[in-house]
Amino acid sequence: MDPWQLFWEFLKAALFSTSGTGNLPMLHTDLLAHGWASEQMFAEALAIGQLSPGPTGLWVLSLAYLIDGVRGAGLALVAISLPPLTAIGVQIVYARHGSQPAVQGFVRGLLVAVASMFVVVLLRIFVQNGIDLRNIAIALVALVLTWRRTIPVPIILVLAGVIGVMSTQF
Amino acid sequence: MESDKALRHSGWNLFRGYVGIGLQSFGGGATTLYLMRRVAVEEQQWLSDVEYTEYWGMVQIAPGINLLGQTVLIGYRVNGFRGAIIALVGLLLPSATLTIALTAGYAMIRTNPQVAAAVHGIIPATVGVGCVLALQMLKPALDSSRAEGLRSLWVYGLVVIGAPLLLAIAGLPAILVLWGAGIWCAVGALWIRRGAA
Repeated sequence: MDPWQLFWEFLKAALFSTSGTGNLPMLHTDLLAHGWASEQMFAEALAIGQLSPGPTGLWVLSLAYLIDGVRGAGLALVAISLPPLTAIGVQIVYARHGSQPAVQGFVRGLLVAVASMFVVVLLRIFVQNGIDLRNIAIALVALVLTWRRTIPVPIILVLAGVIGVMSTQF
Repeated sequence: MESDKALRHSGWNLFRGYVGIGLQSFGGGATTLYLMRRVAVEEQQWLSDVEYTEYWGMVQIAPGINLLGQTVLIGYRVNGFRGAIIALVGLLLPSATLTIALTAGYAMIRTNPQVAAAVHGIIPATVGVGCVLALQMLKPALDSSRAEGLRSLWVYGLVVIGAPLLLAIAGLPAILVLWGAGIWCAVGALWIRRGAA
């Protein structure tokens, strides 16, 4: 594995997304195509990102570690630290041209595309993990509990883990 | 009073504030956003409530992780470009280290059958939580589309249906779909505006 290529994949995905998990669709297609990551690794990294401190977007550090150890995580850390610095430039430019409808349309189109493509990636991760009644139930219950903010996300994940262990015992 | 403000705006204090956020914000983005607001607006008074919200809107369109963009803008406001770097390093030093350490710990036990069973239960939950993330991203955009009328619903609705199909079935590269969607909606926005005039 070429470390520069790995760095570039993380940097490119961060540059073309406007949120911590917006880079998921692009990383998912590109890293799977290289054969560097598995569906399982994506799911594991996303879960760790929800539990660990800092932005959820740090899930890519977890993914990079699973792919290439400390070296990968270090490269990914640099790759995700650079794009947010452009926020200073965006602030200046947006103050001048932000009211242009074409600019607003472009930004909103990017956001809508990322969010919609997200669902494809999630479906693939879900299918890879195995489709059965238990898994469908866990996904639906987690969706509803998160949407209604009944329980904090880390606790939902821990509970799902407990169900995972228990259901193999009986 | 002035010296008190100078103290709060010093690079060292900025660094300390952000290390604290990076260290305590277990539970991902929501906790981090909550803590950052409390420290930056209420405790340190680096910026006003209104500015904080304004910045948050700005970083939605800047590339990369929103919370890191917010960190950069607050650091920049307090201490210039130097402040932006200080705040970013302060936030990432503890949180990135803990994330990597957590992953390393997990990597050592992931082959254990009990752990594997737990992960098989957690993955569908992650998918459920992820669906909410996608919906939360989509909802404000589609709400404004509904307010703008039929033309806007056509333009953005087609992206909602078309982008996943182009990715999953046509197998186009994600970057191409993203650029395509952006340009489509930039042109679409002009068409929507003409319809409204």
